[in-house]
Amino acid sequence: MNEDILQINSVKKSFVRNIIDVRGKEENERFFIIDDLDLQIPREKITALIGGNGAGKTTLFNIISGFMSPDSGDIIYQAENKQMSIIGLLPYKITRLGIGRMFQDDHIFHDMSVLDNMLLADADDFGEFPFISIIYNRKNKIIEQERIEKANSIFKELFGEDNPFWEKRDEPAKSLSYGQQRLLGLARLFMGNYDLVLLDEPTAGVNPQIINQILIIIRSMVEEKDVTVFLIEHNMKVVLDLADFCSFMSHGKITAFGTPDDVIGNDEVRRTYLGV
Amino acid sequence: MLLQLLVNGLIIGSIYSIVALGYALIYNTTHIFHIAYASIYMFSSYMLLSFYINLNIPFIISFIIAIGLTILLSVLIEILVYRPLNKKRSSLNVVLISSIGIMIVVINIIAMFYGNETQILNPNISKSISIGNIIITYSQLAQFIVSLVLIFIFLIFLKFTKFGIKTRAMRDDSILCKVFGMDINRMRLMLFMLSALFAAVGSGLVAFDVGMDPYVGMPMLLNAIVALIIGGVGRFEAPILGGFIIGILQSLTVWVFSSRWQDAVTFILLILFLLLRPQGLLGEKKRAV
Amino acid sequence: MNYIFHIIIIINIYIILTVSTNLLVGMANLISLAQAAFYGFGAYLGVLALMILKLPMIPTIFFVMFFTALLSLIIAFPSLRLKGDYFILATLGFQLIVFTVLYNWISVTRGPYGIPGIPAPKLIGIIPVSGIIPFLVLSSILAGFVIFIFYKLVHSPFGRVLKGLRDDEIAVKSLGRNVTNYKILTFAISSAFIGIAGFIYASYVTYIDPTSFNLDEAIFILAAVLIGGTGNIKGPVVGAIFVVILPELLRFVGFPSSIAANLRQIVYGLALIILMRYRPQGIAGEYKLQ
Ligand SMILES: Nc1ncnc2c1ncn2[C@@H]1O[C@H](COP(=O)(O)OP(=O)(O)OP(=O)(O)O)[C@@H](O)[C@H]1O
Ligand SMILES: [Mg+2]
Repeated sequence: MNEDILQINSVKKSFVRNIIDVRGKEENERFFIIDDLDLQIPREKITALIGGNGAGKTTLFNIISGFMSPDSGDIIYQAENKQMSIIGLLPYKITRLGIGRMFQDDHIFHDMSVLDNMLLADADDFGEFPFISIIYNRKNKIIEQERIEKANSIFKELFGEDNPFWEKRDEPAKSLSYGQQRLLGLARLFMGNYDLVLLDEPTAGVNPQIINQILIIIRSMVEEKDVTVFLIEHNMKVVLDLADFCSFMSHGKITAFGTPDDVIGNDEVRRTYLGV
Repeated sequence: MLLQLLVNGLIIGSIYSIVALGYALIYNTTHIFHIAYASIYMFSSYMLLSFYINLNIPFIISFIIAIGLTILLSVLIEILVYRPLNKKRSSLNVVLISSIGIMIVVINIIAMFYGNETQILNPNISKSISIGNIIITYSQLAQFIVSLVLIFIFLIFLKFTKFGIKTRAMRDDSILCKVFGMDINRMRLMLFMLSALFAAVGSGLVAFDVGMDPYVGMPMLLNAIVALIIGGVGRFEAPILGGFIIGILQSLTVWVFSSRWQDAVTFILLILFLLLRPQGLLGEKKRAV
Repeated sequence: MNYIFHIIIIINIYIILTVSTNLLVGMANLISLAQAAFYGFGAYLGVLALMILKLPMIPTIFFVMFFTALLSLIIAFPSLRLKGDYFILATLGFQLIVFTVLYNWISVTRGPYGIPGIPAPKLIGIIPVSGIIPFLVLSSILAGFVIFIFYKLVHSPFGRVLKGLRDDEIAVKSLGRNVTNYKILTFAISSAFIGIAGFIYASYVTYIDPTSFNLDEAIFILAAVLIGGTGNIKGPVVGAIFVVILPELLRFVGFPSSIAANLRQIVYGLALIILMRYRPQGIAGEYKLQ
């Protein structure tokens, strides 16, 4: 088996900007947000992706998870002795292949109950085809019960015996605090069977205590579940603490890759990104 | 025969163009799916009827009063219904349903007072001129000329006045406009006024030719929407092109099949465009940011 | 008494229409203006089954459900490729195309002349269901059945996916669910049950013509759902009762029928405007239209 779970090969992605100036003249301008980007993600390791605001990090995640298609280039995913290109696949197919994702702006189901948020994330979708749950009523009940148990045990494992998530399981997810919502977004990933998860700024905007919790959860993903983690992060302390490797994105390319210490110590990174 | 149909198509196309232009003024800038536009269109005909026939006021003056009242209705709709929803940041679907509600209310109020029957403005058979085999009535001629003049003035207006530039800017990004200190509410109000002007003129011209009933708005609105989609959402020249295309296509349908299939052909065209070229003939593939 | 029974039958028909439409509007967040087209499919297919194929009642119902669903997919597939406004516009376009075809394809549908003399459906092949009481029973059973089925669906894992869909479509995709498939299934199920309403209507009234299935009717069905409220079962049921009872009440109060017809429309219109402003979840619904 290849050591890299994901190989990103010369991916390009451009957007068109429509500019209208004061005199009312219009112009369209095409600019490359990702420009010939190459990157390998090592298996069962934590790789961080850093770069300035608007550098195109989230765009890269969108391309990996199928929400956007690149202009050109290829992405090879290596799962269980099977190697395949995931370009052109729909997002749900990519997820089914074992690539999970947590979004920068949450995307948990705010109006659904905390528990339903977990159940809907289950890898097994039995009963979700209409009428199946009515026809196989008994089997459906058993599976639903198992799902609930699974959610409960994930909550216990991640947040301890008496956790607020299980207590508030029937309340809408929007009743959780912001930090808790992020944690729910992470916990949800444990319901699926993922080999690779993409985390977009998991620690953004949450307090230090929850950051600690998040760090522990991410580590346990890798160490206990053998998951590979690829995360975007602006908090350098988190990167230094957590990541095995770090990549720096600028001008649409990966311009530095190595251990976090190396990359953060890199002259260019210090000058252009950290501003020191 | 064919030539006559094409000329008729061109004339009705010019009406579609200005009505579609009025719709585009709202849709391109506010993204409101302005179904109530159908009732605004219909309203103008009935106001004309009241002043011209019932009160016996000269046609031109009646027409101007009707246009004024139609503009007032449009302004009221914006102030009483759309603006509060916009302020609440209601979703566009909510606005759409409200718009359907307005349409139902206006149509039925008119129907209650004027009845459901067709009413006519001009009981005489319109005089006509003939060029070779082609016969054009004076009222058709008026439709064509007035529409063209209106389109022409509008295009100049859009290109060279400050309001026109603001309109185009708002089409591109209304949040940005706010940042640049444009008074969005005032802009919207002017757009609703201008849009009603187009509807009112088109409606009056058509009513003078063929009369009206309380339900004339919907078919006209649908043609306007199709014209907009075919031409291309976003550009203000587009609904003009789309309007003429539909007018001509519908006359060709009459020639090849029969007038009963006009609607089917129009909406099949709509579906084809939505699926194969959603940006329309003049639109660009992607209008980003 | 017969008058009240008649009202209840009509309410039952509208309950089937609104509860089924709610699956689209209130669960999958798909605003469809083609519901009257599906209703029409159901009615005309019912006529086909009863008059030409001479099927008994139960097979007729399955026939109608199956083929209404199938025809609805012709509309669903292209429309679902479009987002937001364009989706609504596409359903509107299809609604008008279906109406024009029903109206103008005279050799098959008899167009504006309509189809009179629709025979009573036969239970177990022999016992005809006709007259007001049998229809009261039949329509109540079918409406009850539809409510039961949709209740079950909403509270099943399938319903959970739909709730996810209306809450956050991107999240559903990212969890490995094929969103397009679910929307198509929703469309098919919703239309299949709307077909039942068409079938009851046709066999109860024994006469159909295309004007019962035009754009106004599509708007009316949508209005009924939104007035009652979306997202649960209670809302659409309340909506159906409201829109059917209101005109009767207006008549009862003593408005002349010529004005009452317009007046009730005005009430529906105002109800939509006011509800959208102050209560976008409708009278008894739980989902705020997005
Ligand atoms: N669909 C789109 N169309 C046009 N431009 C886009 C689109 N999506 C993103 N962009 C632009 O691409 C740029 C990069 O966006 P992206 O979200 O990838 O940045 P990022 O590196 O994740 O930034 P941040 O650290 O702030 O999250 C931004 O300037 C954004 O405006
Ligand atoms: Mg980002």
